[in-house]
Amino acid sequence: MNKKLFCALVLFYLITNVCLAIELEHSTKVKAQWGINTRDGSSQSLNLILQPELVFNFDNGIRLTSIARAHSDLISNIAPGSLNRQAYNPVNKPLLASHELELELREFYLEAEWKQTYFTLGKQQTVWGKADGLKVLDVVNPQTFREFILADFDDSRIPQWTLKLEHTIGPVDLEFIWLPDQTYHALPEQDSTYGFTSLRLVPSQPPAGVNLDLRKLERPNRFIQDSDVGLRLTSFWEGWDLTLNYLYQYDNLPVLFQQFAQTVNGPTVTVTPQYKRTHVFGTTFSNAFDDWVIRGEIAWFSNRHFLTRSPLINNGVIASPELFYVIGLDWSAPYDIVVSTQLFQSWIIKPSNNLTRDKHDTTLSMMLGRQFLNDTLEIQLLVLGNVNDGDGMIRPKINYQLNDDVKVWLGADLFYGDSNGLFGQFNHNDRVLVGTEWIF
Amino acid sequence: MNMFIYIILLSVFSTPLFSAELMNAEEIARHINSRDEGIAVSRFLTMELTDKRGKQRIRKTHAFRKYYDDEKRTAIFYLEPKSIKDTAFLTYDYQAANKDDDQWLYLPALRKVRRISASDRGDYFLGTDFTYEDIKLETRVSIEDYNRQTIGEDEIDGFHCLLIESIPVTDEIAAELGYSRVQQCVDDQIWMVRQSKMWDLNGNPLKTIHSSDIRQVQGIWTQHILDVVNHKTGHQTKFMFSDVQYDKEINDNLFTKNTLKRGL
Repeated sequence: MNKKLFCALVLFYLITNVCLAIELEHSTKVKAQWGINTRDGSSQSLNLILQPELVFNFDNGIRLTSIARAHSDLISNIAPGSLNRQAYNPVNKPLLASHELELELREFYLEAEWKQTYFTLGKQQTVWGKADGLKVLDVVNPQTFREFILADFDDSRIPQWTLKLEHTIGPVDLEFIWLPDQTYHALPEQDSTYGFTSLRLVPSQPPAGVNLDLRKLERPNRFIQDSDVGLRLTSFWEGWDLTLNYLYQYDNLPVLFQQFAQTVNGPTVTVTPQYKRTHVFGTTFSNAFDDWVIRGEIAWFSNRHFLTRSPLINNGVIASPELFYVIGLDWSAPYDIVVSTQLFQSWIIKPSNNLTRDKHDTTLSMMLGRQFLNDTLEIQLLVLGNVNDGDGMIRPKINYQLNDDVKVWLGADLFYGDSNGLFGQFNHNDRVLVGTEWIF
Repeated sequence: MNMFIYIILLSVFSTPLFSAELMNAEEIARHINSRDEGIAVSRFLTMELTDKRGKQRIRKTHAFRKYYDDEKRTAIFYLEPKSIKDTAFLTYDYQAANKDDDQWLYLPALRKVRRISASDRGDYFLGTDFTYEDIKLETRVSIEDYNRQTIGEDEIDGFHCLLIESIPVTDEIAAELGYSRVQQCVDDQIWMVRQSKMWDLNGNPLKTIHSSDIRQVQGIWTQHILDVVNHKTGHQTKFMFSDVQYDKEINDNLFTKNTLKRGL
């Protein structure tokens, strides 16, 4: 983030708050986690997050929330500096104090109600959808993949400068969002611990004798024309929680157009990353029946891009609409065990035989969980598996709440499957985790 | 002769057949459920959770309840500790026995309102010794879940009580609730349960709930302290109600998922 802007914002909120605030709530989260690679016993990550939060409640009903975050990781290949930062809008980019430390005004927003319309203005998180583990409709905000999808969504989601309006008309809640902040998924550099290598996500390395020319990311930067806009209608009907969603956005992942040409330097593949627009139409639903909760999301993306097996085919990319959905069943099983299963399916609508992934792609997930000792001890097992590639990950975890303020955990992130798979690409990254979180 | 008639009458009227019969349990339950609870209430609730080693956790919440004809809506917002602040719980409780209640939980770590299965009613509510069903019923009793009978009289905190024993109608309901038997001591002056004892599905003593500091607030009898002892785990929960207001206007918007998400 621009330093001057950062200072101006801090100054603004200090002045306004000191003058007008009548009630201040504050808290600070300190989170530390150590990841140990199970293959060689080396430290994979050693990170520390310090996250102070201030909430000012004004006497006119307005509320200002401000969350800052200092995040450091002492292991170079996973440190904040190992992230490609081109995808950040300059006004949203965290300040990289050193390779190991970044400072960020994480959230900063005003909430107010006027004539039964609720306004939330500022840098904030917008969360849609009902799925766990993977995202279908929860695509409004981009996220950082510094640790693939292992970090908590609340930590990995990138808050954006947003205007959100909410208004209720009869049985329907309307939510309108406008995001002039052109920030997209923050991807790890290829040589970092969780750098992408799967052919689903990145093109294969050119053969020997062929040069690779990776161009700079072309990020949209027009304030109005390149902003995202969305609308969500929410209702409760006959026991069903229903939403209808619409989003006009730039897909948060860049499209990697590839061009093969003979140049003065010899044969060269030029990769040009670009962001492309898509309409997203979606719906979500959930209801409870006896011991079961059914929930789901369906999303239709009008314009998505998928890598082909060769740069010679259609510039390495096929554009197609995509139907992506998830159906989940949560079962309150005997002995207070919670069993949560999900089926994710993605369908590429346009026919093509030259893609690096299957036209129909299926991922299954299962989560088993149980609380003990009056919710102070929690044991959880999450398994995510891709049916097409036969890869996946297994995440056992034990959480213990030491007291009201401190919790500790022990867990593992274990990957399996082929290195071309979404999960299998990190097969060498299996790790055991110990961590603690203190909120005061 | 007069003496003979007197002895006969005395012996007849002293038999149980003619003694002052205790009130039928179903009627007691109806009295409990028809007691004025106000249309709506706002109150602060402090929860003290103590494990068997004496380690204590304290939660502070702001709770609201409002009746809408045959529907009761309850919302609980967590204020402290900071680790669970902004957690919120919402329930729509329907009178019709064949209609499941609707329940939602907002977890700030996920930033999502999650639907909860209503048949989790025997599960313990957010680490307390109360079940979701206990929380939902508040000072009422479930008519349709139990067969009940009056089994005697007792005294709690110096107040006369009628003892009623309730057995779940079916094994399935017993399993849902987590109780095989419930014994309640009902103050027959104000129709409020002063003490409840529950037994688990194997018939072992499970927990005891004791209500105290019962006094009128704006003309409505209100319990201000609830103590629960779980005999199996040794864990204890104390609920302390304060700033109880029945006459405060409570906006319907409080009982929506949007408010659950935004907080108070």
